[in-house]
Amino acid sequence: MSLKKQDEMDHNAWLKKQDLTVIETAFLTTLIWLDKRLRIVDYLELLETMYYRANLQMPKSHTEQYDLDNKFWYWYPLYSLGSLSIIAYLVAAVSGALLGFYYSPSTAGAAAQGDPTAAYDSVVMIMTDVQFGFMLRSIHSWAAQFMVAAVFLHMLRVYFTGSYKEPREVNWILGVILIGLTLLFGFSGYVLPWKQLSFWAAQIGVEMALATPLVGEWAAQLMFGGFTLGQATLVRMYILHVFVLPFVVTGLVALHVGIVWVQGIAEPH
Amino acid sequence: MTDDTTPMTDGGTDEEARTDGGPPATVPPDDETPTWSERKERSQGLAQLTYQYFERSRREDENLRAESTYVERDVLGFPTWPHETIRNLAITSFFVGIIILIAAILPAHYGEPANPGATPGIILPDWYLYWSFGLLKLNPINPSLAVLDGNIAMSNEFLGITAHGIVFGTITLVPFLNKGGARRPVEQPFWAAVGVTGVVLSITLAALAIQNFFPISLDLLLTLTFMLPLAGGIITYAVLKTMREGYMYDLNRRYYMLRPPK
Repeated sequence: MSLKKQDEMDHNAWLKKQDLTVIETAFLTTLIWLDKRLRIVDYLELLETMYYRANLQMPKSHTEQYDLDNKFWYWYPLYSLGSLSIIAYLVAAVSGALLGFYYSPSTAGAAAQGDPTAAYDSVVMIMTDVQFGFMLRSIHSWAAQFMVAAVFLHMLRVYFTGSYKEPREVNWILGVILIGLTLLFGFSGYVLPWKQLSFWAAQIGVEMALATPLVGEWAAQLMFGGFTLGQATLVRMYILHVFVLPFVVTGLVALHVGIVWVQGIAEPH
Repeated sequence: MTDDTTPMTDGGTDEEARTDGGPPATVPPDDETPTWSERKERSQGLAQLTYQYFERSRREDENLRAESTYVERDVLGFPTWPHETIRNLAITSFFVGIIILIAAILPAHYGEPANPGATPGIILPDWYLYWSFGLLKLNPINPSLAVLDGNIAMSNEFLGITAHGIVFGTITLVPFLNKGGARRPVEQPFWAAVGVTGVVLSITLAALAIQNFFPISLDLLLTLTFMLPLAGGIITYAVLKTMREGYMYDLNRRYYMLRPPK
């Protein structure tokens, strides 16, 4: 083994053997010169890989895979409703976090009944003063609407394709719990601006709780901070909306998706 | 399961490329690993029972696999990259774009500040709670009992809460009531009819919640609230029963090779 520099591939000799035009020779010489120093060939391979990855072949649809063409059962888009609810949830989470910078959960500031409170004013401030705030509130609101709609439709899809059957009963129950929590999410968010409809929706909530025997008063205390609506109600709804529910719902969604992962998606039709 | 001449799903017969139907990929336990019986001997009580059950379960699994005529598919899924990723990115961007577009052209409404002293003429939650609000307006059908001198047994509010419990309870129980391998509505017209009844009921209950907007009498509205879902269910049942014959005949052959009807 000698220390003499090995040049196994004598590119220049190879170049001389070729019958090339001047332009081709110049190009190849430059290329070889650059490649010896910069190893361009590696990047060419990367580019080639990217080329093949970019020219994808889209997957067969379920109808093609199962040879179900021309069947009424082309429900493929309905199989994405679960992920659509998660996407809407994420959009609501991001826009909600931004709204949280400006919102203040307080009923202070109302001199007389019917005057705007601090909570109401902070939402007005978001809509009028904050840069992009009007749009932000609108996005948050609509993301919530889309999430609830997607969750409902997701449940209908699961029902009508019988995907809840053995061994997926637990995940169905988990889904029912998640729907309830989604509605609670929507309800608590509806109360937060402390506008007229928010107040009276919460009032109905309190009355429902109080009408329940045994646990009703305890539930009203826990959820609404008392039997009449006020500062305590707003703060409890706020904590529920921005602290408790996000953790609980995110955890349960992870579990829900995790179970789907473990059990596999119900045979598509 | 597959003999040598069976062509694969792409039509080839190259044994090198065959992905399915090979011998079971079980790894024989080495000397270090205690056998299931050794573990069983070592343990007691609940742990012992657990091991016994796992052993049974494992044996059952092996037997089922040996007896099964199930043909595993060559393609179990598409690669995460690029197929799934690109598709999911497309769906996500489209959906988020739709949310932003709708938010821009239909901005969220904002109302008057809360006034505990003035009840608004129309109290409504968001649309997705209309059905729930409708359940709170069932007081006309709250049964008055003769043994209570015609008084109602439970308050109207509690009736509404009970109705919620019934709705959520029924939905939760569905997997335990509807068993079997049927998946499509044509295979199970009754349960499809139940589903349609539920969907229509949620819509009619929403209509009941906003009864102020309907120029028809409350009696008629209440009747429709329960009769329309029933009618929807009956129509669904009739249509699916009629479709069933022709549909089952035409059902995809490969689908039923994979999962024979019960």
